[in-house]
Amino acid sequence: MSYYDIDAILTDAQKVPCTFELTVPGLGFLDGNMDGDMKKDSKVELPIWLGEMLSLSEMMNTDSLVTLSIPSALGPRVFNALKADPRTVDLRALASHFYNLATRLLEMYVEDINKSEEQEMIRVLSETFKARAAVIADQANNVRGTLGEGADFLRGLDENERQLFRAAHDSAKSVRAWVAEGMKKK
Amino acid sequence: MALPLPPGLTPPEIAFLCEMELVTVIPRQRLEGLDLLGGRTPPLHPPQRANLPLWLALLLKRQRRANILPPPWLSPPALAAILELESTAHAAAPPRLPLAPPGILPISPPFLPSSTADAPRDALPYHWLELGEILLEAASDDFEDPDAVRRLMRDLREVRMANMRKGVEVFDAQGGLSMTGFGGMEVAEGRAFIGGVIDGLRKIGAARERSGDGDQDDQDNGFPSTADDYDDEMDM
Repeated sequence: MSYYDIDAILTDAQKVPCTFELTVPGLGFLDGNMDGDMKKDSKVELPIWLGEMLSLSEMMNTDSLVTLSIPSALGPRVFNALKADPRTVDLRALASHFYNLATRLLEMYVEDINKSEEQEMIRVLSETFKARAAVIADQANNVRGTLGEGADFLRGLDENERQLFRAAHDSAKSVRAWVAEGMKKK
Repeated sequence: MALPLPPGLTPPEIAFLCEMELVTVIPRQRLEGLDLLGGRTPPLHPPQRANLPLWLALLLKRQRRANILPPPWLSPPALAAILELESTAHAAAPPRLPLAPPGILPISPPFLPSSTADAPRDALPYHWLELGEILLEAASDDFEDPDAVRRLMRDLREVRMANMRKGVEVFDAQGGLSMTGFGGMEVAEGRAFIGGVIDGLRKIGAARERSGDGDQDDQDNGFPSTADDYDDEMDM
């Protein structure tokens, strides 16, 4: 993950639900409460970069300021849908950087995931990515597919998958261009 | 991002490499052997066949000094047989390539007479797609039925690319995909996509290794400790 990677920056800007463990004076503006305090046990959606820093404060031998929980995009409902059929889920509507968000959260300490759930999540994510990649390759090589029945699926691709589609499409296009060039010379 | 080109070779570069392949020509004029960097070409005596590099054969063909004899695997019956094999074979079964003659070290395709008139007819060489396209374009009058060949080539290409894509779904535990039997142009076409899939899977798998104890993870993860070395290459 590079400092200048725009996808990494956008991933960090996605929001996760956080629960405050302490009352913080003057922080109410995060919750739309301009001059007030942030009450203990209030739930706020914070961007990952902020939530990560706040939850890390337990390193300094104090209680963690916030605890992170799983965003709805990675909730059990989504994962059940992915297990049932990875192709029909609109990942983009859930999170524009779905896989990045998932891996980012798995790297961090999130309260309500234990080890075995984590393994399960990674397994489902890998299976999903593979199954969808096969469809992406078919669509990228099929010109009509992008306009017809494939349009709905392609709209639901997350940013990683879009790059994959673009790569597959561009390489197929360059081979076609080379063949066409030979024909023209004739 | 210094280079605007993606990693790997572009189709024109692969076609250029393909011009090293030997093809069989039937000369129409006498020509003494030429001393070239790649060695001396055989002298041409009109009724006798000779093996020349593709680029020289194309040059002579354009000047109407020679006819090119298409390799045996580029005939409609041979292509139809290979197509039959490809479309019925299991997705993971690699298409066949001619083996190097026994007894000598396996040598790379440009030095293997895989596209001359006495090449095996039941297998495709490494540069089959490029060679077929170039010959169809430059020497279509030397084919008996160029339209049938063209149609079969297109079908074959579709089937083989579909087989390659199917391989993505059954990535094995090593996180790799066997590309044995795929031609130069096909590898170039699949490179960006296959690389992208492996990279994506690696990122997903890497989260697990960082998140906790990695010892029992390695097996079912599919990405053993080499993932980091791979990372260095991919970032270039």
